[in-house]
Amino acid sequence: MTTRHQISVTVNGVNYQREVDARLTLADFVRHDLSLGGTHVGCEHGVCGACTILVNGASMRSCLMLAVQADGAELTTVEGLSRNGELHPVQQAFIDRHGLQCGFCTPGFLISTAELLQGNPNPSDDEIADALGGHLCRCTGYQSILESVQLAAQMMREGTIVDAASPAEA
Amino acid sequence: MTTDMNNSLYELPTESPRFVGQQVRRIEDPALVSGSVEFIDNVTLPGMLHAAILRCPHPHARIVSIDTTAARQLPGVVAVLTGEDVKRWCNPVVTAPEGWGAYCLAVDKARFVGEPVMAIAATDRYIAEDACELVEVEYEVLPAVPDAPAAIAADSPLLFENQNSNVMLQRVYDWGEVEPLFERADHIVRETFRWNRVGANPMETFGCISQWNLADNSLTCRGSYQTPSFMVLGRSASLNLPSNKVRIIAHPHGGSFGGKGGPRGTDISALLSRKAGGRPVKYIEDRAEYLLAGGGQSWDRYYEAALAVMADGTVTGLKVKLLDDQGAGAEGYGTISVAKPLAAFTGPYRIQAAQYDLTVVATNRAPTFAYRGYGPPPHNLVLETLMDSAARELGIDSAEIRRRNYIQPEQFPYTIPSGNEYDSGNYPEVLARALQMADYEALRAQQQTARDEGRYLGIGVVSTVEPGVFDWNAYRTAGVQGVGVPEGARVNFDMLGQVTVTVGFALEGQGQYTVAAQVVADYFGLEMDAVRVVCASSDAAPPHFGPGGSRVGVALTGAVLGACHKIAEKFRRVGAVLLQCEPDDLELAGGAVRMRERPEAQLGLADLAGTMLARSDLLPPDMDPHPGATHVWTPPGRTEPDEQGRCKSYLTAANATHVVLVEVDPDTGVTEILKYVIVDDCGTRLNPANVEGQVQGGVAQGVGAALLEQYVYTEDGQPLVSTFADYLMPTLHEVPITQKGAVVTPSPFTPLGAKGCGEGSIHITPAAVICAINDALQPLGVKVRETPASPSRIWNLIREAGT
Amino acid sequence: MKPAPFDYYAPDTLSDVVALLQRLENDDIDAKVLAGGQSLLPMLSLRVARPEALVDLRKLADLNYIREEGDTLAIGAMTTKSAVEDSPLVQRRQPLLHAATRLVGHRQIRNRGSFGGSFTQADPASEYPAAAIALDMELKVVGPDGERRVAAQDFFITYMTTDLDTTEVLTEIRVPALPAGTGWSFQEIARRHGDFAMAGVAVTLRVENGVCRAPRIVAFGVGATALRLPEAEQVVDGKALDSALFQEAGHAGAAALEEPSSDVHASADYRRQLVAVLVARGLAEAVARSAA
Ligand SMILES: Cc1cc2nc3c(=O)[nH]c(=O)nc-3n(C[C@H](O)[C@H](O)[C@H](O)COP(=O)(O)OP(=O)(O)OC[C@H]3O[C@@H](n4cnc5c(N)ncnc54)[C@H](O)[C@@H]3O)c2cc1C
Ligand code: FES
Ligand code: FES
Repeated sequence: MTTRHQISVTVNGVNYQREVDARLTLADFVRHDLSLGGTHVGCEHGVCGACTILVNGASMRSCLMLAVQADGAELTTVEGLSRNGELHPVQQAFIDRHGLQCGFCTPGFLISTAELLQGNPNPSDDEIADALGGHLCRCTGYQSILESVQLAAQMMREGTIVDAASPAEA
Repeated sequence: MTTDMNNSLYELPTESPRFVGQQVRRIEDPALVSGSVEFIDNVTLPGMLHAAILRCPHPHARIVSIDTTAARQLPGVVAVLTGEDVKRWCNPVVTAPEGWGAYCLAVDKARFVGEPVMAIAATDRYIAEDACELVEVEYEVLPAVPDAPAAIAADSPLLFENQNSNVMLQRVYDWGEVEPLFERADHIVRETFRWNRVGANPMETFGCISQWNLADNSLTCRGSYQTPSFMVLGRSASLNLPSNKVRIIAHPHGGSFGGKGGPRGTDISALLSRKAGGRPVKYIEDRAEYLLAGGGQSWDRYYEAALAVMADGTVTGLKVKLLDDQGAGAEGYGTISVAKPLAAFTGPYRIQAAQYDLTVVATNRAPTFAYRGYGPPPHNLVLETLMDSAARELGIDSAEIRRRNYIQPEQFPYTIPSGNEYDSGNYPEVLARALQMADYEALRAQQQTARDEGRYLGIGVVSTVEPGVFDWNAYRTAGVQGVGVPEGARVNFDMLGQVTVTVGFALEGQGQYTVAAQVVADYFGLEMDAVRVVCASSDAAPPHFGPGGSRVGVALTGAVLGACHKIAEKFRRVGAVLLQCEPDDLELAGGAVRMRERPEAQLGLADLAGTMLARSDLLPPDMDPHPGATHVWTPPGRTEPDEQGRCKSYLTAANATHVVLVEVDPDTGVTEILKYVIVDDCGTRLNPANVEGQVQGGVAQGVGAALLEQYVYTEDGQPLVSTFADYLMPTLHEVPITQKGAVVTPSPFTPLGAKGCGEGSIHITPAAVICAINDALQPLGVKVRETPASPSRIWNLIREAGT
Repeated sequence: MKPAPFDYYAPDTLSDVVALLQRLENDDIDAKVLAGGQSLLPMLSLRVARPEALVDLRKLADLNYIREEGDTLAIGAMTTKSAVEDSPLVQRRQPLLHAATRLVGHRQIRNRGSFGGSFTQADPASEYPAAAIALDMELKVVGPDGERRVAAQDFFITYMTTDLDTTEVLTEIRVPALPAGTGWSFQEIARRHGDFAMAGVAVTLRVENGVCRAPRIVAFGVGATALRLPEAEQVVDGKALDSALFQEAGHAGAAALEEPSSDVHASADYRRQLVAVLVARGLAEAVARSAA
């Protein structure tokens, strides 16, 4: 029989105390117990990257963690990227550069991109590929994702929102 | 005015659109990047149960008995469903040719590994899976039909006992006098090819929540449905419900690429709901289930093909013999994939006559479904490989032989031997642009230098036609019952002048809602954020089909324009009453209806809509006071297939040329893509960023098919692919960054001149990459004739050739 | 795809972990240690592993370190792979280990996966066992009878099986310094970047007066464990170096392999070929990197 455990986690700045089954994955916990559905699940065995979240600031697969293992941790999910209703530059850049189609893989890409740019404001293409190579996207063919990350880096470096897709410019 | 009204039905009333044709941001995206979109697994309904499915571990087995006693006793288990229930309540699916369909759960016997055998609904998915493990099934293992050659062997076991063989379809199509052309040919080039099974693999698997209302015996299914209207008809037929008692609520889905819809999963969860007293039952297919048995495996083929060529490089005739493995019964409209190549059988070339010798069989592999491209990608690979072989035999450059054989711009509309009509194009120009962007001569020089150094560089120059905007007539020849493919849009103004467009299909990634908003905003002179696009449930939506067959961009544009036109007419009539003039004195411009002669006399659209909605008493009683309209667009001019399957099936013919440079390492067989240039012509580009996205996404899937992806089966019919560690989709590292260019030849037949382009490069990339590899391998005297061109396969070829 | 039920424990100290493992063993309960979970969790979700109890090491913060002990780098088993990857100490002192680390899965996997977990997992296609043998690492293991040390060469027994007892915990991995001037190479070929390798090779050697000394050549992905290729080493040992010799070594190493594994990605013959090619390339690169 699976044991139950009291856990306390902080997600996007909000503390949650819950009792969970030992076998509950962190992805299921975040999605279903906390109703934070922006973290998606594409494979449940660690390959696709859709479920990636930040655990104490580092990107990890939430399908490859148990909820109990997150006891005491600080998590950031895609819902936590925007501040006061304002999109994170990474989110804005993905919109501006058409870095998504169906958007199912996108939360994972956004999380890993946010982590990358936090530590490396001016990543090379190889560094971007290294950070995002563990994410599968079946729609975009990645080119627009790469461009979105470059744009996000530029926006964050310059502290501006670059109006990259306005019709007037195209 | 009324006379030119019809001509302008599918045009914008402005010369200078602000949004159509521009790279606008997608209206879909803010919600998607915020993680607030309601994908189906994000939905929880009160009292909801969770289903898990027990699947057959054998390729072919009789079910002797199922003991569910222990499973029923597990706390949390609410309902159990077996083949006995299904036999009593259901019919086989209607998506396979008559007599080749299966029930949603195996009844009496199972025909593939992963076929659902029984299902359980429990209070959570963990418990449902625990319960499945407690079920005891006794199987009598039957001899299996592991692949297509085995299916046509004389002593082959039968999959469907009511059929007297495993051959689902066998016929030879003759289009023109092909034999004399081969007799007269100066050269005949022949190729064989094995295309191994690939599949859609959207990042979100299929999911649904079904609820059977026992009070009025009706069914509501929410889920990631690509084609809601078909799901209604299909559930009605399989579950014996009147079609107006089935309601499908399509949720946005995480990609589809053809196979999304899960008829089995839907029926299973629906019946579990029925057994659970009407509680909603969620079924989320997991990735292992998807890979084993989900809707997306496609194109499992053996080809023999030949080309008749004259000494000057003119290609006159094409023969293609195809042995196609549909798996255990083609339940996902899989047979359409052998019929669709008819729409562009001879590619962009003026080939006079062709023959298609087709054998479609059932095997104990997973049933096949639709996948982006829906059949032509392997066919194009065969045709383009033949073109390269011909070039090589004649000593002509591979770009040049294509140029010599293209249909010329002035020959459109052009009817190909297999019956479809191409609307327009400029193939020589597309090729010329691609060669120029790639600096083709420099590439050939680079290749020569590399060869001198003992390195193996290869160049692929490949051209294809992507048929767009289909009609079901195209598929009747493959034994599929067709219904029409209308696309409807309802456009409504509210009293503040804001617009809601209602369609019948859910978001799945191609950005069509944005296209609808672009069109409406330009039509009425609004900002795009004044337009919202929503998907209604199947019973409330206008007639619809949704994405598929590279159609919805074009079809939705037609529907929206038609609806806008009807509203504009209403606005003019109402405006005429209010401004006391004739409707013909008024025109729609700059977000208002104004007098042509006296533009300062105008009424804003919000005023008009507000008056219509709030003060219809001011209007004459026979005037329609509703500031909204519905329009249904259907591709014009499609024809019935003749006895050889020939018909006008697809409305548009987009064209592309890809130039690819690869290097093959002969010691390891590893292929690296060094350069990738694309020029495509899909007519008017409604939103260039959308088009480029479709093009690039198709490159990724094409590279996957060419180099990485394969549903591997053992000789006994056991699938070896059950995780993403086995089914290898390309990542950021494997997909080339491409240089893209465009030629724009508008379609004369479609609203705004756009052509279907949703399937994009999947039609061409596999051919382009494989042709480039074969060009690289030429000095070694070997040729790839099987996909994917994995390192181990390439190395094996080189080794066997003993070089 | 959900894990079957299990009990879960997260003891606070190493001795509690060991005591618990022993108690569970005495009670005949099938327990498994849980570290980063990057191998264990997929197996649990696919229900191919079904332990009755998990003993999580996550509270053992004192197993998370990278430190210099004389010439040796001591790395705590619970240090993440990213920490190893990012460590300037590792980059400077053990570039082969750094290179191998960058080939393990993806950043998100390395952020969670423990350094020690790859040794105990003993996947024959994993980079770390090969690096461990090439670099002559030593593993520190703690169990009911206290601490013992095992040479990497003796730790990996066969496919996914190590010398570790079910009641023991791997606590530290010790990486001795390479002699000055040592050249190295770490080569692999995978279907995709980040996948487990179809085959790979780790090489270390020194060049003295144009002659190859103390070559170590380790192959992975081709057998039940990572394995040294003495036949290849002998070809180059003490010889003047040229590319024909590298190839000869590659062929010798490949020929000596017992039947290499065969799967959906690569046949046995193909794996043998990769070993031949990668040994030759690895030798060339290692020679180029050596300080002589
Ligand atoms: C998508 C993906 C790609 C990957 N690619 C690669 C790759 O290319 N190369 C590669 O090498 N690996 C790869 N891995 C595996 C990954 O590196 C794992 O992190 C590693 O194998 C195990 O480390 P862990 O800490 O996660 O261990 P866990 O999964 O927690 O444990 C693994 C095993 O080791 C045991 N164990 C762990 N720590 C200890 C300890 N201290 N003492 C005793 N027993 C212990 C556990 O009981 C279990 O049996 C990949 C994984 C994924 C999901
Ligand atoms: S769902 Fe976690 S990696 Fe795919
Ligand atoms: S946008 Fe659909 S999977 Fe990436």
